[in-house]
Amino acid sequence: MARDRHSSEDYVRPVRRILVGLLILVLFSVFVIWRIDSPRMERFRAALVDRIVPSFSWALVPVAKVADMAESFQSYQRIYDQNQKLRRDLRQMQAWKEAALRLEQENAKLLNLNKVRLDPKLTYVTGVVLADSGSPFRQSVLINIGKRDGIVDGWAATDGLGLVGRISGVGRNSSRVILLNDSNSRLPVTLQPSGQRAILTGDNTSRPPLDFLERPELVRPGDRVVSSGDGGVFPPGLLVGHVALGTDGRLRVRLSADYERLEFLRVLRNYTVGRVTDTGSLLIPLAPANSVSALGDPLGADAQDD
Amino acid sequence: MIDSAVRARLAHWALFLVLVFIVYFLRLIPANPGTRQLPDPYWVVIFGYAWVIRRPDYVPTPLFAAAVFLGDVLFLRPLGLWSAISIGGLEFLRARAQFSRELPFLFEWAMVAGVIVLMAVANRVLLGVFIVNQPDLASTGIQLLLSILAYPLVVGISATLFGVRKVAPGATDKMGHRI
Repeated sequence: MARDRHSSEDYVRPVRRILVGLLILVLFSVFVIWRIDSPRMERFRAALVDRIVPSFSWALVPVAKVADMAESFQSYQRIYDQNQKLRRDLRQMQAWKEAALRLEQENAKLLNLNKVRLDPKLTYVTGVVLADSGSPFRQSVLINIGKRDGIVDGWAATDGLGLVGRISGVGRNSSRVILLNDSNSRLPVTLQPSGQRAILTGDNTSRPPLDFLERPELVRPGDRVVSSGDGGVFPPGLLVGHVALGTDGRLRVRLSADYERLEFLRVLRNYTVGRVTDTGSLLIPLAPANSVSALGDPLGADAQDD
Repeated sequence: MIDSAVRARLAHWALFLVLVFIVYFLRLIPANPGTRQLPDPYWVVIFGYAWVIRRPDYVPTPLFAAAVFLGDVLFLRPLGLWSAISIGGLEFLRARAQFSRELPFLFEWAMVAGVIVLMAVANRVLLGVFIVNQPDLASTGIQLLLSILAYPLVVGISATLFGVRKVAPGATDKMGHRI
């Protein structure tokens, strides 16, 4: 009996081996295709995620809520202190509120005098965070608005306080937001009040560092960091955070957005974003092409003159 | 009438799928997104490996491949590469399941650890060859270490909760076949 079984395996084994080899080959070619035509495969990924994740959002969101509640139960011990602190804060806030109201009235008056109209393009769509679909190496969240709601790749997402990230990958009912601290995130920023330009480089930590800062000595911890709008990806002037000095001596940014509690995200509509549609447009820099044509024109004119 | 061995096998396939679902689900929960510091072990891979060494018929390759590929898609890994590599590891261990049956657990642990380390190295090398952006070495190292440490735990859970144990040498099933 036992022999019988083994002899049957002698036929099965080579066939099996071939099939497994084929499977590995197929998966590896998927990887190669992903490498060659990344935007298309990422669209495939977005479509697949769009199929899978919203289908169990009914469970994801409540579970997250319960976890949050458990966390807040722990803080009940400190509730008295918190209450006192809130009362103090409230008194200060009331003073601020008065000031804000006065400023608002003044602002409205001035706007009226100048006939300024706010940019109507900057409206937003609000979405709920569905899932934290980042691996530990990728910081991203999925939100429950997608192509159906007119979301486009590259739009900025904020949480009401500060910039959170940018849309990267849009499905029908969901889209992915790559957070500012993801290792692939690069954001051109302006530091206020010194007016320095820098690049905010995500490095998977909660305090991303500032790179390409021309004169770091002009920057103080506590300076405001806003998006600069360079490169035309984000609208300028969105609050990102404040400068902080890291323990390693680098200038880092304490993000204004509350990354611990991302619940609702506002996606800012911005139709001027340059879209990435194929791999080619990523590789060719535009500026040299212009300069070549600028050089080419006089030559062409010469040729015609001759 | 379904044979009880077949039924056990089907039940364990379903169980494996449920485990995969739970692992992915827990990871997707948006409790505090964007602040995760510690990478988590390759749960699906080590569950698959712990099972394939004990009962090769409980982890069919297509099922395992589908599970890992789904992970590739959901967690923003380069599509297909990690699945291809982990199937390689699975088949390597499957071929040695018979042989490792008589070995002590420590040896098996070392073998699996070696396989996982090799897989991570292969992953890094291939990503490097294809010039793909990679996570830093430290977090990959931590992930590897956690996976290796989690392996005995996974084996324990599988044995106690799901009844995935090694078959004693020379044991037979109900029909008298050697397993």
